[in-house]
Amino acid sequence: MMKKGSDTIIERFRHVTDNTHEYAKSLQEKGHLLAGYMCTHVPEEILYAAGMIPVRILSSHVSQATTRSYMHETYCSFSHDCAYQGLQHNYDYLDLIVTSSSCIHMGEAFNVWVRFAGFQQKSFLIPYPHIIQTKPAGGFMVESFGEFKQFIEKFAKKSITDDDLERAIKVYNHNRRLLKRLWEFLRRDHPPITGPDVATVTLASQVMDKQECNKLLKRLIQRLEAEPGKAPSGVRLMVTGGACDDLRIFDLIEHLNYSSNLIFIDSCTATRYFWFEVPEDRPDKLKALAEGYLGRIPCPAKDNVPGTGEKKRFRFIQQFIEDFKPDGVVFLYQRFCSPQPMDVVALKPIVDKLGIPSTELELDTTIPITQFRTQLEALVEIIKRVAP
Amino acid sequence: MAYSLTTWGEFKNYQSTCYRNYLYASEGLRCMGSTWSVLAPLKGLGEDVHIIGGEPHAASTAGTFPEESREDISAAEGAGLGFHSCSYLKLFVGEVVRDKIGITDGTIKEGYPKPDLIWTTHLCSQHSKWYQEVSRRLGGIPMYAIDMIGGGNAEKDPKIVNYVCDQIEEGIRWLERVTGREYSDELFIKAARNEIKCLVLWGNICALNRHAPAPLDERRLIALFPPAMVDRTTDRTVRIYEALFEEVKYMVETGQSVAPDQRYRIVYFGIAHTYGHPEMARILRDAGAEIVASVYTFGTAGNFRGIVNGKWSWDPLDPAWVDELDLSTRRNAISALAKIVLGWPTWQGVRSYWALEQMARAMITEYKADGLLLAPSRSCETDFRNGYVGMQRIFKSEIPTIEYDSDQADVRKMDLPGAQRKTELFVHLMEAHKRRSA
Repeated sequence: MMKKGSDTIIERFRHVTDNTHEYAKSLQEKGHLLAGYMCTHVPEEILYAAGMIPVRILSSHVSQATTRSYMHETYCSFSHDCAYQGLQHNYDYLDLIVTSSSCIHMGEAFNVWVRFAGFQQKSFLIPYPHIIQTKPAGGFMVESFGEFKQFIEKFAKKSITDDDLERAIKVYNHNRRLLKRLWEFLRRDHPPITGPDVATVTLASQVMDKQECNKLLKRLIQRLEAEPGKAPSGVRLMVTGGACDDLRIFDLIEHLNYSSNLIFIDSCTATRYFWFEVPEDRPDKLKALAEGYLGRIPCPAKDNVPGTGEKKRFRFIQQFIEDFKPDGVVFLYQRFCSPQPMDVVALKPIVDKLGIPSTELELDTTIPITQFRTQLEALVEIIKRVAP
Repeated sequence: MAYSLTTWGEFKNYQSTCYRNYLYASEGLRCMGSTWSVLAPLKGLGEDVHIIGGEPHAASTAGTFPEESREDISAAEGAGLGFHSCSYLKLFVGEVVRDKIGITDGTIKEGYPKPDLIWTTHLCSQHSKWYQEVSRRLGGIPMYAIDMIGGGNAEKDPKIVNYVCDQIEEGIRWLERVTGREYSDELFIKAARNEIKCLVLWGNICALNRHAPAPLDERRLIALFPPAMVDRTTDRTVRIYEALFEEVKYMVETGQSVAPDQRYRIVYFGIAHTYGHPEMARILRDAGAEIVASVYTFGTAGNFRGIVNGKWSWDPLDPAWVDELDLSTRRNAISALAKIVLGWPTWQGVRSYWALEQMARAMITEYKADGLLLAPSRSCETDFRNGYVGMQRIFKSEIPTIEYDSDQADVRKMDLPGAQRKTELFVHLMEAHKRRSA
């Protein structure tokens, strides 16, 4: 069967997620400095403005015990796996490793790289507020981003002008808008693209040169707009939770014994990565960056509105539920993750109140496909009211 | 002969009084939150503010009511909290779920006393989520969490100090709004000086353990350290710590100790495992091994010189320095408080592996340690779990080192037989090391 135009482009994105090192090294061969980052709170625009390409450190899903003598067992498998990448020297080609103070687990994965994997002299930790809704958080971030900018200028031996930053902001915003348009296809009853494919493209965008990514994304969207929807539509499932770069789980959702579709993912490896914009054409670029990043869908580790203790992310989730109309919700988080399950306790009653059935899946380095399949099929049976 | 602290009764009495006031006060304000917070700002609201802190309350409940605390943890898990979540958090939330509360004097009160507000901190990924959950379960208690963006040397970074100060200042305005009370800077400043004084006095008391024999052991340290006092902002707490300081100085002068058999001096990095597992302490005590210095009891709420010229120092600060602090304005008092709190060693180590290593190195040297005992807690993120794993790699070739697989309050997570064998091995290692060095 002839492949559709969109399939060919999706395959190119899939090739990036399947071969991230090969792809990143090809950028380096073109003369780019590469900066690995471990958390999406890193303002990639500053790196990009200096001519560097930010590459997200992803895990390999290889069962291993190496990191157990560097990190405590009760840290999440994603952080272990990312630390493992450093200890295995899989990313030795990176020129720099950066993170922002985010959850403790990923912070420690970063520390393993710095202490034990040879990155001590080529690393930077950006102090980032742990509660993003405090009034003074913006000012703090401007100062913090300023220090980061200075470090990068020295590191890349290039001064970063306001024009450089503005260009980077626009490239990144363009990327965010395109990704958003892609996800919005999934609002349809018969979208021309599947959820797992959208997740793949989104993950690929986190390691790609954004200009190259934007060109591909634009072509993909144009072709999808001209293509008919994929039938039949099944039970619509939304995922909400923590970092998950194991795309097999999303494929599984679409390959149950019942017809089901993945229609949204609220996580930092999917929509939380890009569902915001940095204000453009502002005189103070660092202030604009701070404003943009503070306006993100909050990571559960940083979400606490002063005065009420409200979790702002829940508002976004309720909006996504309204827009994407899921029949069921899958709470998906890393085993040993602290903030995600704490949120599920409070989020589940809200989802229940909306009359949406849900289930919880706890991720580890490897995925127990059979167990997950049973749980997901049970969820679909509840939704479809299938008699036992 | 073991020395018996004369100030002990006064400490316990004060602690129980604070808890009883929170439980039974018929008027005034009930305030809840982490004792890892600056407490003095609450006191600007009046002289009828009753505080309950999270961690020390959970710790003392685990010690006072082991069975109840297990029920609390189970209740919290039954209500949806994860098996891997902080056990202090679960114990605390479990009491809310079970609608009863136990305090250090042995009282168990049916009907959980609802706080008027929550004033707390955030640093690890669970810290303020703890109180978000309590607030939610109690129907939406107003809550203000301060982002303590600590980490190695933070108290000397103007960017961080200003950020924390601005949040406290904003928090005071919130306190006024949410309580409808007029805020008294006079009361706040008085409380701030008391709070700083207690923390500095505590640093001085700890520093006396450099002597041999060390006057205090870990069991006393954990019971006497400022968070255990519940409220460290009052004149009475200052008097109690001054009295303790004098008493411990006297012990040093006369060569006395609460645990005089100290063949081996241990430096300890971890939350108090002895609450859930006195077996460990017993093995060490029988072998004449005492924990004489511990980052948790010294530095969770206590102040030292910290990083000086790029090197960590456990030297205490002069208590007289506190009397000279210019706290004439609200901002000055906030700034002094923010610096003192950001200077707590436990903040420094949470996100700064280098600070943690420096602290350990300095503590081992300054306290002439024979062994390093690491007890990462399975459920505490801020207990430097990873730092400890890394530290074991670094220190094991320098000094006898062991690492427990432990938890601060959840006995299900402790490898007790393994820890007992490790403890015995640790004692043998220290003996062999001593003989080799002799």
